[in-house]
Amino acid sequence: MNYSLIYSQVSEHIPYLLGGAILTLELAAISFLVGWAIGLTNASILHFGPRPARLAVQGYVTFFINTPLLVQIFFIFFVLPDAGILLSPYAAVAIGMSLNAGAYLTEIQRAGFQSLRREEIDAATAMGFSVPQIVWYVVLPHIAKALYPPLSNQFIIQVMTTSIAAIFAVEELTGRAYNVNSLTFRSLEVFSIVAVIYLVLTLACSLALALLGRWLFRVKARVF
Amino acid sequence: MWEQLLEDAPRFFGIWNLMFLGQALLNTLLLSYLGAAFGFAIGFSLAIGRHPRLYGIAPIRLLATAYVEVFRRIPFLVKLMCIFFAFQLSGAQASLFTIALVTVVLSAAAFAAEIARAGIEAVPAPQWDAAEAMNFSRWKVLTRVVAPQSWRVVLPPLFGYAVGFIKSTSIASQIGVMELTYAAKILNTRGFSALLCFGTILIVYFLICWPTKRFGEHLEARLGRRPKV
Repeated sequence: MNYSLIYSQVSEHIPYLLGGAILTLELAAISFLVGWAIGLTNASILHFGPRPARLAVQGYVTFFINTPLLVQIFFIFFVLPDAGILLSPYAAVAIGMSLNAGAYLTEIQRAGFQSLRREEIDAATAMGFSVPQIVWYVVLPHIAKALYPPLSNQFIIQVMTTSIAAIFAVEELTGRAYNVNSLTFRSLEVFSIVAVIYLVLTLACSLALALLGRWLFRVKARVF
Repeated sequence: MWEQLLEDAPRFFGIWNLMFLGQALLNTLLLSYLGAAFGFAIGFSLAIGRHPRLYGIAPIRLLATAYVEVFRRIPFLVKLMCIFFAFQLSGAQASLFTIALVTVVLSAAAFAAEIARAGIEAVPAPQWDAAEAMNFSRWKVLTRVVAPQSWRVVLPPLFGYAVGFIKSTSIASQIGVMELTYAAKILNTRGFSALLCFGTILIVYFLICWPTKRFGEHLEARLGRRPKV
Protein backbone atom coordinates (compact mmCIF):
# COMPACT_ATOMS: atom_id res chain seq x y z
CA MET A 1 0.00 0.00 0.00
CA ASN A 2 2.92 2.36 -0.57
CA TYR A 3 2.09 3.31 -4.12
CA SER A 4 1.44 6.96 -4.76
CA LEU A 5 -0.65 8.11 -7.68
CA ILE A 6 1.32 10.41 -9.97
CA TYR A 7 -0.72 12.03 -12.68
CA SER A 8 1.97 14.29 -14.16
CA GLN A 9 3.26 11.67 -16.62
CA VAL A 10 -0.22 10.87 -17.84
CA SER A 11 -1.61 14.40 -18.01
CA GLU A 12 0.46 15.25 -21.09
CA HIS A 13 -1.38 12.46 -22.92
CA ILE A 14 -4.85 13.81 -22.15
CA PRO A 15 -5.27 15.54 -25.54
CA TYR A 16 -4.40 12.21 -27.21
CA LEU A 17 -7.02 10.45 -25.07
CA LEU A 18 -9.62 13.10 -25.91
CA GLY A 19 -8.90 12.48 -29.58
CA GLY A 20 -9.91 8.90 -28.90
CA ALA A 21 -13.16 10.16 -27.43
CA ILE A 22 -14.04 11.56 -30.87
CA LEU A 23 -13.58 8.11 -32.40
CA THR A 24 -15.71 6.71 -29.57
CA LEU A 25 -18.53 9.08 -30.45
CA GLU A 26 -18.11 8.31 -34.15
CA LEU A 27 -18.36 4.56 -33.55
CA ALA A 28 -21.35 5.05 -31.25
CA ALA A 29 -23.09 7.24 -33.82
CA ILE A 30 -22.46 4.83 -36.71
CA SER A 31 -23.64 1.78 -34.80
CA PHE A 32 -26.63 3.67 -33.45
CA LEU A 33 -27.74 4.94 -36.86
CA VAL A 34 -27.27 1.59 -38.63
CA GLY A 35 -28.92 -0.17 -35.70
CA TRP A 36 -31.78 2.29 -35.87
CA ALA A 37 -32.32 1.56 -39.56
CA ILE A 38 -32.22 -2.19 -38.84
CA GLY A 39 -34.61 -1.70 -35.94
CA LEU A 40 -37.03 0.40 -37.98
CA THR A 41 -37.11 -2.20 -40.78
CA ASN A 42 -37.53 -5.05 -38.31
CA ALA A 43 -40.23 -3.30 -36.31
CA SER A 44 -42.17 -2.69 -39.54
CA ILE A 45 -41.76 -6.35 -40.48
CA LEU A 46 -43.04 -7.38 -37.04
CA HIS A 47 -46.14 -5.26 -37.61
CA PHE A 48 -46.93 -5.84 -41.26
CA GLY A 49 -44.70 -8.67 -42.51
CA PRO A 50 -45.66 -12.26 -43.33
CA ARG A 51 -45.21 -14.92 -40.67
CA PRO A 52 -41.85 -16.38 -41.83
CA ALA A 53 -40.31 -12.89 -41.96
CA ARG A 54 -41.67 -12.13 -38.49
CA LEU A 55 -40.18 -15.35 -37.13
CA ALA A 56 -36.82 -14.54 -38.70
CA VAL A 57 -36.82 -11.09 -37.09
CA GLN A 58 -37.79 -12.53 -33.72
CA GLY A 59 -35.01 -15.10 -34.00
CA TYR A 60 -32.48 -12.39 -34.82
CA VAL A 61 -33.58 -10.23 -31.88
CA THR A 62 -33.65 -13.11 -29.38
CA PHE A 63 -30.24 -14.36 -30.46
CA PHE A 64 -28.46 -11.00 -30.40
CA ILE A 65 -30.00 -9.90 -27.11
CA ASN A 66 -29.06 -13.13 -25.35
CA THR A 67 -25.41 -13.42 -26.39
CA PRO A 68 -22.48 -11.18 -25.42
CA LEU A 69 -21.44 -8.50 -27.88
CA LEU A 70 -17.78 -9.34 -27.34
CA VAL A 71 -18.28 -12.92 -28.53
CA GLN A 72 -20.40 -11.73 -31.44
CA ILE A 73 -17.53 -9.52 -32.59
CA PHE A 74 -15.01 -12.34 -32.01
CA PHE A 75 -17.19 -14.45 -34.24
CA ILE A 76 -17.36 -11.80 -36.97
CA PHE A 77 -13.67 -11.02 -36.71
CA PHE A 78 -12.28 -14.58 -36.60
CA VAL A 79 -14.85 -16.72 -38.39
CA LEU A 80 -15.74 -14.63 -41.43
CA PRO A 81 -12.12 -14.67 -42.74
CA ASP A 82 -12.50 -18.48 -43.02
CA ALA A 83 -15.41 -17.82 -45.36
CA GLY A 84 -13.28 -15.43 -47.39
CA ILE A 85 -14.53 -12.16 -45.89
CA LEU A 86 -11.62 -10.20 -44.47
CA LEU A 87 -12.59 -7.31 -42.22
CA SER A 88 -10.53 -4.60 -40.56
CA PRO A 89 -10.90 -4.47 -36.76
CA TYR A 90 -12.81 -1.20 -37.06
CA ALA A 91 -15.23 -2.68 -39.59
CA ALA A 92 -15.73 -5.85 -37.53
CA VAL A 93 -16.50 -3.83 -34.40
CA ALA A 94 -18.80 -1.46 -36.29
CA ILE A 95 -20.72 -4.35 -37.87
CA GLY A 96 -20.97 -6.26 -34.58
CA MET A 97 -22.14 -3.21 -32.65
CA SER A 98 -24.65 -2.27 -35.35
CA LEU A 99 -26.17 -5.75 -35.45
CA ASN A 100 -26.30 -5.82 -31.66
CA ALA A 101 -27.84 -2.35 -31.42
CA GLY A 102 -30.27 -3.35 -34.19
CA ALA A 103 -31.71 -6.07 -31.96
CA TYR A 104 -32.26 -3.72 -29.02
CA LEU A 105 -33.62 -0.96 -31.24
CA THR A 106 -36.07 -3.40 -32.83
CA GLU A 107 -37.49 -4.14 -29.38
CA ILE A 108 -37.62 -0.45 -28.44
CA GLN A 109 -39.32 0.63 -31.66
CA ARG A 110 -41.78 -2.27 -31.66
CA ALA A 111 -42.93 -1.23 -28.20
CA GLY A 112 -43.08 2.40 -29.33
CA PHE A 113 -45.31 1.58 -32.30
CA GLN A 114 -47.54 -0.54 -30.10
CA SER A 115 -48.13 2.37 -27.75
CA LEU A 116 -50.07 4.10 -30.55
CA ARG A 117 -53.77 3.63 -29.84
CA ARG A 118 -56.47 2.96 -32.40
CA GLU A 119 -58.68 5.65 -30.80
CA GLU A 120 -56.20 8.41 -31.60
CA ILE A 121 -56.42 7.65 -35.30
CA ASP A 122 -60.20 7.20 -35.14
CA ALA A 123 -60.55 10.59 -33.45
CA ALA A 124 -58.39 12.22 -36.11
CA THR A 125 -60.44 10.55 -38.87
CA ALA A 126 -63.66 11.74 -37.22
CA MET A 127 -62.32 15.29 -37.21
CA GLY A 128 -61.77 15.08 -40.96
CA PHE A 129 -57.97 14.68 -41.05
CA SER A 130 -56.61 13.30 -44.30
CA VAL A 131 -54.20 10.34 -44.16
CA PRO A 132 -51.02 12.46 -44.57
CA GLN A 133 -52.38 14.82 -41.94
CA ILE A 134 -53.04 11.91 -39.55
CA VAL A 135 -49.48 10.68 -40.06
CA TRP A 136 -47.95 14.13 -39.66
CA TYR A 137 -50.05 15.52 -36.81
CA VAL A 138 -51.06 12.41 -34.84
CA VAL A 139 -48.92 9.34 -35.51
CA LEU A 140 -45.46 10.89 -35.83
CA PRO A 141 -45.67 13.22 -32.79
CA HIS A 142 -46.94 10.35 -30.66
CA ILE A 143 -44.23 7.94 -31.78
CA ALA A 144 -41.49 10.57 -31.53
CA LYS A 145 -42.52 11.40 -27.99
CA ALA A 146 -42.80 7.77 -26.95
CA LEU A 147 -39.53 6.70 -28.57
CA TYR A 148 -37.27 9.62 -27.75
CA PRO A 149 -36.32 8.70 -24.15
CA PRO A 150 -35.49 5.01 -24.83
CA LEU A 151 -33.65 5.91 -28.04
CA SER A 152 -31.46 8.50 -26.34
CA ASN A 153 -30.83 6.00 -23.57
CA GLN A 154 -29.68 3.47 -26.15
CA PHE A 155 -27.28 6.03 -27.61
CA ILE A 156 -25.64 6.48 -24.20
CA ILE A 157 -25.34 2.68 -23.94
CA GLN A 158 -23.70 2.63 -27.39
CA VAL A 159 -21.14 5.23 -26.24
CA MET A 160 -20.14 3.00 -23.33
CA THR A 161 -20.20 -0.17 -25.39
CA THR A 162 -17.63 1.19 -27.85
CA SER A 163 -14.98 0.48 -25.20
CA ILE A 164 -15.10 -3.13 -26.39
CA ALA A 165 -13.45 -1.94 -29.62
CA ALA A 166 -10.23 -1.56 -27.60
CA ILE A 167 -10.01 -5.36 -27.39
CA PHE A 168 -9.71 -5.41 -31.19
CA ALA A 169 -7.00 -2.72 -31.15
CA VAL A 170 -9.27 0.05 -32.43
CA GLU A 171 -7.80 3.27 -31.08
CA GLU A 172 -10.84 4.80 -29.48
CA LEU A 173 -10.85 6.13 -25.92
CA THR A 174 -10.15 2.83 -24.15
CA GLY A 175 -7.82 1.68 -26.94
CA ARG A 176 -5.75 4.82 -26.53
CA ALA A 177 -5.79 4.25 -22.77
CA TYR A 178 -4.10 0.89 -23.42
CA ASN A 179 -1.51 2.69 -25.57
CA VAL A 180 -0.77 5.34 -22.94
CA ASN A 181 -0.62 2.61 -20.32
CA SER A 182 2.05 0.68 -22.19
CA LEU A 183 3.96 3.92 -22.71
CA THR A 184 3.94 5.26 -19.16
CA PHE A 185 3.04 2.20 -17.00
CA ARG A 186 0.89 4.51 -14.90
CA SER A 187 -2.03 2.09 -15.20
CA LEU A 188 -4.40 3.24 -12.48
CA GLU A 189 -3.82 6.87 -13.35
CA VAL A 190 -4.58 6.29 -17.04
CA PHE A 191 -7.72 4.25 -16.48
CA SER A 192 -9.08 6.55 -13.77
CA ILE A 193 -8.66 9.52 -16.13
CA VAL A 194 -10.40 7.54 -18.87
CA ALA A 195 -13.21 6.66 -16.46
CA VAL A 196 -13.70 10.37 -15.74
CA ILE A 197 -13.68 11.15 -19.49
CA TYR A 198 -16.40 8.52 -20.04
CA LEU A 199 -18.39 9.99 -17.16
CA VAL A 200 -18.18 13.51 -18.56
CA LEU A 201 -18.83 12.30 -22.11
CA THR A 202 -21.99 10.36 -21.26
CA LEU A 203 -23.24 13.14 -18.97
CA ALA A 204 -22.74 15.68 -21.74
CA CYS A 205 -24.54 13.40 -24.22
CA SER A 206 -27.43 12.85 -21.80
CA LEU A 207 -27.75 16.57 -21.18
CA ALA A 208 -27.56 17.47 -24.89
CA LEU A 209 -30.12 14.79 -25.80
CA ALA A 210 -32.46 15.88 -23.00
CA LEU A 211 -32.32 19.51 -24.15
CA LEU A 212 -32.78 18.49 -27.78
CA GLY A 213 -35.77 16.33 -26.86
CA ARG A 214 -37.37 19.11 -24.87
CA TRP A 215 -36.90 21.53 -27.75
CA LEU A 216 -37.98 19.15 -30.55
CA PHE A 217 -40.73 17.00 -29.06
CA ARG A 218 -41.38 18.56 -25.63
CA VAL A 219 -40.16 15.34 -24.01
CA LYS A 220 -39.38 15.70 -20.34
CA ALA A 221 -36.29 13.52 -20.18
CA ARG A 222 -34.43 12.99 -16.94
CA VAL A 223 -30.66 13.35 -16.95
CA PHE A 224 -30.18 12.00 -13.42
CA MET B 1 -14.86 -24.43 -44.32
CA TRP B 2 -17.62 -27.01 -43.73
CA GLU B 3 -15.42 -30.05 -44.45
CA GLN B 4 -12.88 -28.78 -41.95
CA LEU B 5 -15.66 -28.24 -39.45
CA LEU B 6 -16.90 -31.83 -39.78
CA GLU B 7 -13.34 -33.07 -39.48
CA ASP B 8 -12.63 -30.99 -36.36
CA ALA B 9 -15.91 -31.54 -34.55
CA PRO B 10 -15.25 -34.99 -33.00
CA ARG B 11 -11.83 -33.87 -31.80
CA PHE B 12 -13.25 -30.58 -30.48
CA PHE B 13 -16.01 -32.24 -28.49
CA GLY B 14 -13.60 -34.71 -26.91
CA ILE B 15 -13.81 -35.41 -23.19
CA TRP B 16 -10.95 -33.08 -22.17
CA ASN B 17 -12.27 -30.13 -24.11
CA LEU B 18 -15.74 -30.67 -22.69
CA MET B 19 -14.36 -30.75 -19.14
CA PHE B 20 -12.38 -27.60 -19.91
CA LEU B 21 -15.48 -25.86 -21.24
CA GLY B 22 -17.55 -27.14 -18.31
CA GLN B 23 -15.10 -25.60 -15.85
CA ALA B 24 -15.26 -22.35 -17.80
CA LEU B 25 -19.05 -22.46 -17.84
CA LEU B 26 -19.06 -22.95 -14.08
CA ASN B 27 -16.85 -19.89 -13.66
CA THR B 28 -19.10 -17.81 -15.92
CA LEU B 29 -22.18 -18.88 -13.96
CA LEU B 30 -20.54 -18.27 -10.57
CA LEU B 31 -19.19 -14.91 -11.65
CA SER B 32 -22.49 -13.65 -13.03
CA TYR B 33 -25.03 -15.09 -10.60
CA LEU B 34 -22.92 -14.59 -7.47
CA GLY B 35 -21.95 -11.11 -8.63
CA ALA B 36 -25.55 -10.22 -9.45
CA ALA B 37 -26.82 -11.55 -6.08
CA PHE B 38 -24.29 -9.61 -3.99
CA GLY B 39 -24.63 -6.58 -6.23
CA PHE B 40 -28.41 -6.52 -6.01
CA ALA B 41 -28.24 -6.72 -2.20
CA ILE B 42 -25.91 -3.72 -2.10
CA GLY B 43 -28.05 -1.94 -4.70
CA PHE B 44 -31.17 -2.26 -2.56
CA SER B 45 -29.30 -0.74 0.39
CA LEU B 46 -28.22 2.11 -1.86
CA ALA B 47 -31.80 2.73 -2.98
CA ILE B 48 -32.96 2.75 0.65
CA GLY B 49 -30.15 5.18 1.46
CA ARG B 50 -31.29 7.47 -1.33
CA HIS B 51 -34.94 7.78 -0.40
CA PRO B 52 -35.73 10.86 1.72
CA ARG B 53 -38.50 9.10 3.65
CA LEU B 54 -36.38 6.05 4.43
CA TYR B 55 -32.71 6.50 5.31
CA GLY B 56 -31.95 9.31 2.87
CA ILE B 57 -30.03 11.57 5.24
CA ALA B 58 -28.12 14.23 3.29
CA PRO B 59 -24.54 12.84 3.19
CA ILE B 60 -25.62 9.23 2.64
CA ARG B 61 -28.03 10.32 -0.08
CA LEU B 62 -25.39 12.34 -1.87
CA LEU B 63 -22.82 9.55 -1.71
CA ALA B 64 -25.29 6.91 -2.87
CA THR B 65 -26.46 9.09 -5.78
CA ALA B 66 -22.88 9.86 -6.82
CA TYR B 67 -21.96 6.19 -6.68
CA VAL B 68 -24.94 5.12 -8.77
CA GLU B 69 -24.38 7.82 -11.40
CA VAL B 70 -20.64 7.20 -11.67
CA PHE B 71 -20.83 3.41 -11.90
CA ARG B 72 -23.61 3.47 -14.48
CA ARG B 73 -21.67 5.79 -16.76
CA ILE B 74 -18.33 4.01 -16.99
CA PRO B 75 -17.94 1.05 -19.38
CA PHE B 76 -17.48 -2.37 -17.80
CA LEU B 77 -14.06 -2.80 -19.39
CA VAL B 78 -12.77 0.46 -17.91
CA LYS B 79 -14.17 -0.39 -14.48
CA LEU B 80 -12.53 -3.80 -14.71
CA MET B 81 -9.17 -2.28 -15.60
CA CYS B 82 -9.37 0.30 -12.78
CA ILE B 83 -10.20 -2.37 -10.22
CA PHE B 84 -7.61 -4.75 -11.64
CA PHE B 85 -4.80 -2.19 -11.34
CA ALA B 86 -6.07 -0.92 -7.99
CA PHE B 87 -5.78 -4.46 -6.60
CA GLN B 88 -2.38 -4.91 -8.20
CA LEU B 89 -0.95 -1.66 -6.88
CA SER B 90 -2.39 -2.04 -3.39
CA GLY B 91 -0.44 -5.27 -3.11
CA ALA B 92 -3.50 -7.24 -2.03
CA GLN B 93 -3.29 -10.88 -3.07
CA ALA B 94 -6.52 -11.46 -4.95
CA SER B 95 -7.28 -14.00 -7.63
CA LEU B 96 -8.34 -12.81 -11.06
CA PHE B 97 -11.75 -14.33 -10.36
CA THR B 98 -12.13 -12.17 -7.23
CA ILE B 99 -11.21 -9.04 -9.15
CA ALA B 100 -13.78 -9.79 -11.83
CA LEU B 101 -16.35 -10.65 -9.15
CA VAL B 102 -15.77 -7.33 -7.39
CA THR B 103 -16.31 -5.52 -10.69
CA VAL B 104 -19.56 -7.35 -11.37
CA VAL B 105 -20.78 -6.69 -7.81
CA LEU B 106 -19.95 -2.98 -7.95
CA SER B 107 -21.67 -2.48 -11.32
CA ALA B 108 -24.67 -4.65 -10.45
CA ALA B 109 -25.15 -2.58 -7.28
CA ALA B 110 -25.39 0.65 -9.27
CA PHE B 111 -27.95 -0.76 -11.73
CA ALA B 112 -30.02 -2.50 -9.03
CA ALA B 113 -30.19 0.75 -7.07
CA GLU B 114 -32.02 2.36 -9.98
CA ILE B 115 -34.49 -0.52 -10.31
CA ALA B 116 -35.13 -0.53 -6.58
CA ARG B 117 -35.67 3.21 -6.66
CA ALA B 118 -38.38 2.74 -9.29
CA GLY B 119 -39.92 0.07 -7.06
CA ILE B 120 -39.91 2.32 -4.01
CA GLU B 121 -41.40 5.18 -6.02
CA ALA B 122 -44.21 2.86 -7.16
CA VAL B 123 -45.56 2.83 -3.60
CA PRO B 124 -48.31 5.49 -3.60
CA ALA B 125 -47.86 8.60 -1.45
CA PRO B 126 -50.93 8.00 0.80
CA GLN B 127 -49.31 4.77 1.99
CA TRP B 128 -46.29 6.72 3.20
CA ASP B 129 -48.50 9.33 4.86
CA ALA B 130 -50.57 6.68 6.58
CA ALA B 131 -47.48 4.89 7.87
CA GLU B 132 -46.05 8.16 9.16
CA ALA B 133 -49.35 9.13 10.75
CA MET B 134 -49.29 5.84 12.64
CA ASN B 135 -45.79 6.70 13.85
CA PHE B 136 -44.08 3.79 12.12
CA SER B 137 -40.33 3.82 12.43
CA ARG B 138 -38.27 3.98 9.22
CA TRP B 139 -37.43 0.32 9.53
CA LYS B 140 -41.08 -0.59 9.98
CA VAL B 141 -42.12 1.55 6.99
CA LEU B 142 -39.55 -0.29 4.93
CA THR B 143 -40.39 -3.82 6.03
CA ARG B 144 -44.16 -3.54 6.49
CA VAL B 145 -45.19 -1.01 3.84
CA VAL B 146 -42.58 -0.55 1.12
CA ALA B 147 -41.05 -3.99 0.71
CA PRO B 148 -44.31 -5.98 0.46
CA GLN B 149 -45.57 -3.65 -2.29
CA SER B 150 -42.46 -2.93 -4.29
CA TRP B 151 -40.98 -6.41 -4.69
CA ARG B 152 -43.44 -7.15 -7.49
CA VAL B 153 -42.12 -4.17 -9.45
CA VAL B 154 -38.46 -4.78 -8.62
CA LEU B 155 -38.09 -8.51 -9.12
CA PRO B 156 -38.83 -9.02 -12.85
CA PRO B 157 -36.40 -6.43 -14.31
CA LEU B 158 -33.61 -7.85 -12.12
CA PHE B 159 -33.56 -10.93 -14.35
CA GLY B 160 -33.13 -8.77 -17.41
CA TYR B 161 -30.16 -7.08 -15.75
CA ALA B 162 -28.78 -10.45 -14.64
CA VAL B 163 -28.62 -11.37 -18.33
CA GLY B 164 -26.68 -8.17 -18.88
CA PHE B 165 -24.14 -9.27 -16.30
CA ILE B 166 -23.80 -12.76 -17.73
CA LYS B 167 -22.91 -11.04 -20.98
CA SER B 168 -20.56 -8.58 -19.28
CA THR B 169 -18.55 -11.41 -17.72
CA SER B 170 -17.28 -12.21 -21.22
CA ILE B 171 -15.22 -9.01 -20.89
CA ALA B 172 -13.49 -10.51 -17.83
CA SER B 173 -11.60 -12.67 -20.35
CA GLN B 174 -9.51 -9.53 -20.90
CA ILE B 175 -7.74 -9.92 -17.57
CA GLY B 176 -7.48 -13.68 -18.03
CA VAL B 177 -10.31 -15.06 -15.90
CA MET B 178 -10.95 -18.65 -16.99
CA GLU B 179 -14.52 -18.17 -18.17
CA LEU B 180 -16.26 -19.18 -21.39
CA THR B 181 -14.86 -16.49 -23.67
CA TYR B 182 -11.31 -17.01 -22.44
CA ALA B 183 -11.69 -20.76 -22.83
CA ALA B 184 -12.83 -20.27 -26.42
CA LYS B 185 -9.83 -18.05 -27.11
CA ILE B 186 -7.49 -20.70 -25.68
CA LEU B 187 -9.09 -23.49 -27.72
CA ASN B 188 -8.84 -21.29 -30.79
CA THR B 189 -5.10 -20.75 -30.21
CA ARG B 190 -4.71 -24.51 -29.79
CA GLY B 191 -5.73 -24.81 -33.41
CA PHE B 192 -9.45 -25.52 -33.35
CA SER B 193 -11.40 -23.56 -35.92
CA ALA B 194 -12.80 -20.22 -34.81
CA LEU B 195 -16.25 -21.25 -36.00
CA LEU B 196 -16.31 -24.21 -33.60
CA CYS B 197 -14.84 -22.34 -30.64
CA PHE B 198 -16.85 -19.13 -30.81
CA GLY B 199 -19.94 -20.76 -32.29
CA THR B 200 -20.10 -23.22 -29.40
CA ILE B 201 -19.80 -20.62 -26.69
CA LEU B 202 -22.29 -18.34 -28.44
CA ILE B 203 -24.79 -21.20 -28.15
CA VAL B 204 -23.81 -21.86 -24.53
CA TYR B 205 -24.26 -18.18 -23.64
CA PHE B 206 -27.62 -18.23 -25.36
CA LEU B 207 -28.65 -21.30 -23.38
CA ILE B 208 -27.81 -19.52 -20.10
CA CYS B 209 -29.21 -16.10 -20.95
CA TRP B 210 -32.41 -16.97 -22.72
CA PRO B 211 -34.04 -19.00 -19.89
CA THR B 212 -33.02 -16.32 -17.37
CA LYS B 213 -34.64 -13.62 -19.49
CA ARG B 214 -37.74 -15.74 -20.14
CA PHE B 215 -38.10 -16.39 -16.42
CA GLY B 216 -38.04 -12.63 -15.78
CA GLU B 217 -40.70 -12.07 -18.45
CA HIS B 218 -42.81 -14.87 -17.00
CA LEU B 219 -42.57 -13.31 -13.54
CA GLU B 220 -43.46 -9.91 -14.94
CA ALA B 221 -46.61 -11.26 -16.58
CA ARG B 222 -47.55 -13.21 -13.45
CA LEU B 223 -46.93 -10.51 -10.89
CA GLY B 224 -48.43 -7.80 -13.08
CA ARG B 225 -51.74 -9.64 -13.40
CA ARG B 226 -52.49 -9.69 -9.69
CA PRO B 227 -54.23 -6.64 -8.28
CA LYS B 228 -51.93 -4.20 -6.52
CA VAL B 229 -52.46 -3.83 -2.77
